[in-house]
Amino acid sequence: MRALDKKLLRDVWRMRLHAAGVALVLGCGLSILVMAVGMRGSMERTRTAYYAERNMADLAVSLVRAPDRVAHQLAEAPGVQAVEARISGVALLDLPDVEQPPSARLVSLPRDGRPLVNDLTLARGRWPDPARANEIILSQAFADANRIEPGDTLAATMYGRRQTLHVVGIANSPEFVFVAAPGELFRQADRFGVIWMGREALARAYDLDGAFNDAVFTLGRNANPSETIAAIDRILAPYGSTGAYGRDRMISDRFLSEELRQLSTMATFIPALFLITAAFLVNIAMSRVIATERSNIGLLKAFGYSDAAVAWHYAKSALIFAAIGAFLGSAAGVALGRAVADLYREYYHFPRLDFSASPATFIGAWAAGFAAALAGCLVSVLRAARLAPAAALTPPRPTAFFSEGGGVAEFAAKLDAKSRIIMRRIARFPRRAGTTSLGVAFAIALLVVARTFPAEMDYLLDVNFGVANRQDVTLTFAEARDQAVLHQVERLPGVLYAEPFRVDDIVLRHNGRTVHEAVFGVPPAARLSRVVGANQTPIPPPISGIALARALAQKLDARPGDEIRVEQTRGQRIATTVRVSTIVDPMIGSSAYMELGALSRLLREPGRISGAHLMMDPAHMTTFNRRIKQIPVIAGASYVGQAEASMRQEFDEGVGVMNFIYAAFAAIMAGGVAFSAARITLAEQERDLATLRVLGFTRAEVSYILIGELMALALIAAPAGIAFGTLLAIWLMQLFQTDMYAFPFVFNPGGYAFAVTFTLVCVAAAALVVRMGIDKLDMIGVLKARD
Amino acid sequence: MDRAEEVNAAEGGPLFALRGVGKTYGEGATAVHALIDVNLDIVPGELIVLLGPSGSGKSTLLNILGGLDRPSAGEVLFRGASLTTLNDSGLTQFRRKHVGFIFQFYNLIPSLTARENVELVGEITDDPLDAAEALELVGLAKRLDHFPSQLSGGEQQRVAVARAIAKRPAVLLCDEPTGALDVKTGVRVLEALQEVNERYGSTTLIVTHNADVARMGARVIRFGDGRVRSVEVNADRAAPSQLVW
Repeated sequence: MRALDKKLLRDVWRMRLHAAGVALVLGCGLSILVMAVGMRGSMERTRTAYYAERNMADLAVSLVRAPDRVAHQLAEAPGVQAVEARISGVALLDLPDVEQPPSARLVSLPRDGRPLVNDLTLARGRWPDPARANEIILSQAFADANRIEPGDTLAATMYGRRQTLHVVGIANSPEFVFVAAPGELFRQADRFGVIWMGREALARAYDLDGAFNDAVFTLGRNANPSETIAAIDRILAPYGSTGAYGRDRMISDRFLSEELRQLSTMATFIPALFLITAAFLVNIAMSRVIATERSNIGLLKAFGYSDAAVAWHYAKSALIFAAIGAFLGSAAGVALGRAVADLYREYYHFPRLDFSASPATFIGAWAAGFAAALAGCLVSVLRAARLAPAAALTPPRPTAFFSEGGGVAEFAAKLDAKSRIIMRRIARFPRRAGTTSLGVAFAIALLVVARTFPAEMDYLLDVNFGVANRQDVTLTFAEARDQAVLHQVERLPGVLYAEPFRVDDIVLRHNGRTVHEAVFGVPPAARLSRVVGANQTPIPPPISGIALARALAQKLDARPGDEIRVEQTRGQRIATTVRVSTIVDPMIGSSAYMELGALSRLLREPGRISGAHLMMDPAHMTTFNRRIKQIPVIAGASYVGQAEASMRQEFDEGVGVMNFIYAAFAAIMAGGVAFSAARITLAEQERDLATLRVLGFTRAEVSYILIGELMALALIAAPAGIAFGTLLAIWLMQLFQTDMYAFPFVFNPGGYAFAVTFTLVCVAAAALVVRMGIDKLDMIGVLKARD
Repeated sequence: MDRAEEVNAAEGGPLFALRGVGKTYGEGATAVHALIDVNLDIVPGELIVLLGPSGSGKSTLLNILGGLDRPSAGEVLFRGASLTTLNDSGLTQFRRKHVGFIFQFYNLIPSLTARENVELVGEITDDPLDAAEALELVGLAKRLDHFPSQLSGGEQQRVAVARAIAKRPAVLLCDEPTGALDVKTGVRVLEALQEVNERYGSTTLIVTHNADVARMGARVIRFGDGRVRSVEVNADRAAPSQLVW
């Protein structure tokens, strides 16, 4: 080993605490990078492989009824590789040990063999025997949540007919990786499942003998999807098709895509904060090294080492810091990735999901780490390279301080001398002070962001369940019924108040844009399920015209006063124009709203309703539940209050883990920066602090100078951290915003207080560790030592 | 200590009394005997010069008198009370109340002006001298608001003198106060020290290896190999301006 390299290793060893700080901060950032990029790749690969293996549909369409022969026409449509014409419906289930009836999506299996499109992966049990009409396969998430195994039986009310079904298999399908009940945007694994069963039995239940009401397609390699969609729509036009659509409207795939997008966001913003902080830490450490190594630099140059060789020598120590950080980050990233993969596998029931980060991911992470380190040491290393040998061998000039002017001077005069020392040092070394404050501000920002998510979620749930949907239960009918049925519902045990509603799938068109959405008919004096206007306050439905959710209005480029075209996708397929009366702000969903009477008149079905929202007497829930299982009209019962509780619980659990991780990251960031800054402050002021001790200052008084500087910088950082964190949170919430969720800014003082307090505690802890150095100050040495 | 101090002072006893003081660094074969069996009384208001080559033990003695170090053997009494038994915070309080230090390399706080460096000590003292007054005494009335980096070495050392006397210390300990200065500026510093000694009666100990400086001391204690070699009373003290080196 060359002598210079030996020196390098010893230098790095001497700076090991700084190196540890840099490596930890860098490691945190790179672990998230490796985890998020790797996870994204793993998910993407898993999804692609899963979709390919099980022939995930490229297109889907639902319709009222088409004879089986039409399926042959569909198979002939340009671009279609395979078609599966199915019967699909929704049923209310009656599980032996479950009081509140859940619902299920029913999907028919082909008469012979397995589905050509959206094939299943059997987790347990077997395929149904075509000869036995009542044998079914159940989706795994639902079966697991309700502890149903092959061999169990359950009852289902399908289209008003009650049937007993035998579970013979438990399976997963690429079509239902994420399952949510129709109209629901949250997953409740135990409340909604998927049942696959023989086509004949379903045909009988839904009166669709020799016909189908749903089709899924895979496309050939060179297919032009829009051409195929047009062809399918042409063929199915007479059969009540709602229009074929691609994966962008398949809810399961949309959720997966959303998850992937969020991983990408995470892979960008968190590592960026840490890389910037690491670069600044390297900058602080290397400036200090170069300052103390002046005479060595002079010697090396006097011996004949070139400027480049000297620069490279010092750059290498920064690269060693980075390499340690990159190694830590890669290892932690893989561990984190595996843990996250376990969570995803459990949540989405992928047949397999193994975390693997590609070599490119690691190369990227290492490159990012090295880039941060090089950026951080660039200025100091160049300074070393530029030092003239003679100049380097003379001692540096003592640090010059100057009087501040005006108001600052007046302020300084009011301080005690120790505080003045702190203030002048901060003013004298603004870059270093800025770095410390920046790191602390980043830590605060990270915590502000982490605390914003749960606050937003809380607010979202508060608005959704406290303002918009205050009902205990929502009953949905198999199809729109005469309002007279409401009296029947009102007479059910425990019903205190029943509020009718209507919901229809419609196509909205405006300015050449087309959107499929739901339109809700809301009674003028709705008390339970209400339209949410600006500032999340309830407003009555428009007396005339249609109210659009903000996201929907944006998609349609529609403003109040615009005439938009509305087409019913079922029933009489009414098409008409209606005026946009107002834009509303439901936080969840992007539907359209009309007054109930106006909507049913528009659809020429006056007095017909789709279901009812109920306010319940909790004392009668059991009898109520027993009764509704026997009412054929009811296709679904959504227990809104219970959904709120389970959602809050699920969020709280997720949030708990997330808060812990963010807190750990913030602690490393704030602690690392504070530790580094405190060590350098101590090293630089060692002589001054020892002098003060000689003059009779106590340890506590001397510690104040060290800790006070850090705490002052942390306090300066607090408003910046809060402001930056808030901006970052707003930006991230906008990124996460979809047409399903809208996130208005939520002011969260508790979150700010936590972020600042926690970070200050971390800074104080780091400072206290370094403070121990004050106990070891060499008072005698300082009497003789020169600067 | 305060009661004992008063009693002792009233009786006109010595400020410091050293009895068999020794200091050994290390153990066994590698042990270095920095001080061996020093017995000395120092009376209030004295200006003593401790003279000797490097490693002769004079600085070790200064450190022990200043409460920076503890003897390995013997006892040091300050106004009749033992310094040897004080713990770390007791020694800090001793330095805080009674000792003024002047270092070879000034050791001013670079981020504080001349006046603020003096005020700094005032903050931990009950009845400090006014900073401007202390600086005027050392001839720096016009440099009050200059930072150390804006002052010459001699000026910095005079600020250090002002800082040391601002707490009206019982004893001024000066470790090679002119060691980093040329003759002219060194003389000005010594003049300041003598002025302080005369005006405030602070007992002053000046450690130096410069034999010429010894001419200004009331007593000159010569050190060699850790022992007190001689103690001379200087009947004919020279004024600092008469010194040359």
